[in-house]
Amino acid sequence: MSKGAEVTAEALPLEFEGKRSFWDVLADEKYFKWILTIPLIVVLLVFMLYPLFYCVYYSVQQYDMVRPAHFIGLDNFRAVLQNADFWHGLRRTAYILVMSICVELLLGMGIALLFNREFRGQNIIRGLCLFPLLISPMIMSMMWNFILQYDFGVVNMVLNVIGLSKVNFWSPKLAIYTITFISIWQWTPFSIFVLLSGLRGLPKDAFEAARVDGAPAWLTFRRLTLPMLSPLIVIIIMLRTMWLIRLFDPLYATTRGGMGTETLDWMVYRISFVFFDIGAGSALAIISLFLTLIVCALMFRVLMKSLGVNQ
Amino acid sequence: MKKTAFGIACGLILFLFIFPIFWIYLTSFKGRPDIYNVDASKLFIFSMTTENYPFVFAERDFLSDIINTAIVSVSSTILVMAISLPAAYSFARFNTGGGQILFTTISTRMFPVAVAAIPFFLFYRALSALDTLWGLTLLYMYFNVSFATFLLYGFFREIPPELEHAAMTDGYGRIAILRRVIFPLIKPGAAITTVFCLIFAWNEFLFSFLFSRNLARTISVGLSLYWSALDVQWGAMAAAAGMAILPTLVASWLMQRYIIRGLTFGAVKG
Repeated sequence: MSKGAEVTAEALPLEFEGKRSFWDVLADEKYFKWILTIPLIVVLLVFMLYPLFYCVYYSVQQYDMVRPAHFIGLDNFRAVLQNADFWHGLRRTAYILVMSICVELLLGMGIALLFNREFRGQNIIRGLCLFPLLISPMIMSMMWNFILQYDFGVVNMVLNVIGLSKVNFWSPKLAIYTITFISIWQWTPFSIFVLLSGLRGLPKDAFEAARVDGAPAWLTFRRLTLPMLSPLIVIIIMLRTMWLIRLFDPLYATTRGGMGTETLDWMVYRISFVFFDIGAGSALAIISLFLTLIVCALMFRVLMKSLGVNQ
Repeated sequence: MKKTAFGIACGLILFLFIFPIFWIYLTSFKGRPDIYNVDASKLFIFSMTTENYPFVFAERDFLSDIINTAIVSVSSTILVMAISLPAAYSFARFNTGGGQILFTTISTRMFPVAVAAIPFFLFYRALSALDTLWGLTLLYMYFNVSFATFLLYGFFREIPPELEHAAMTDGYGRIAILRRVIFPLIKPGAAITTVFCLIFAWNEFLFSFLFSRNLARTISVGLSLYWSALDVQWGAMAAAAGMAILPTLVASWLMQRYIIRGLTFGAVKG
């Protein structure tokens, strides 16, 4: 972007050449662009780097918030990695991640294709479909907990009436699926609306040409629609990965990590804020962060490439 | 035939998305016996009562929860916009830091909550900032800043740089360009971002759960107390939940077009 700088220099009145005031130095693109980011960088330093260092520091200490901390080397990491709970939690997190994102993308794509036409009451129907997305996840999870109760939940009562046996949605076997379902229910509208706006923005002439050539609908979808929507699909996957790894509210509002639903992040919470084992909690948090960063850095690169930004 | 199938599909989708929300409001008007009733015929036919609503305000001081949440949401959103607007402009126009700082900013959302929560819990305890509104405001600002910057980055990228170059050749200074050229163009995007920040702050649970108890208690934490109690009062919980989600429902209804546009992060011109 050196073009902008050249224009600035040209635009400066002649008498300023040679003796530039303090303001002109500030307004120089070289400094100006950094000055704009100072508040953000301060926030990042205070809220990100400082906690990160702290976390790394405590991950090699034994600390329970009562007795003074003392250095124990990598014992915390060793203990965490040898803990079977950690591997279960990791597997569950990956499981929820893959399951939610696949279902959300499939449902989102299906419903977006369905809605991608003019029909009566389209604005009302779309507006209503947006609701789940913006409701507090905590509150909605508590209400789902109520709706899916075994004894007096409405779903089980209806199942009973139509002659099916009741389902215990909060049993160790099913609880993880129920929690994934809550997350899918809440976030499918996100996929729907992102993909719908993508579909609406597609260039008409390419599809016209495909239709004239007599290409079957699924081939048009695979060869034209999908590649054109791929940046949006990457955005959905990236954001949902970030949010799902940190899934907390549906767990708190329902099983509280019991019934075989403890994810990686819930384990961090349990160790640090229920057991107050800050050392082990920090070690686990670092491992979790490391895994997330690897996944997301890869996706961010793909995203930037598909958006056409050169790095 | 095709039209009927389409209608049925739409109806089914709507039912799945709306029914749980409808059920919150229905439950909020049910008394205790009707909630624990296992007779399915009484699911929809029950003796209506409004006793849950006054109970929520009397028992849990719900009003102060609402006020706390409103204060923290608004003040954190103002801070976020003050930080994110200039930074996003810098990233979009000058590619400051070559995408590295932008990625770092976005990555704060990938942090397991504990990475920030453990040090800040200890830090806040030392500062006696636990359970204060300003302490919570700063945390809310932290978690919203990454999303806002990313969103605004997309909106700033939609503004062609040629506009600025033209203004510069006309002799406008930096400030004049920001005020006369950039600001009018970014206003809709900034409005969408503000709405998102407000909604996210309003809905936030984890930070307020860890960092507030009584004085700075927010709606989500206040509501979670119903679930923590030994005897869960579902009716009162539904009443409180219904009131807590009402502002977000109204916002999403009134601003649906803008919200949908914001969801695509400026990757689609809509």
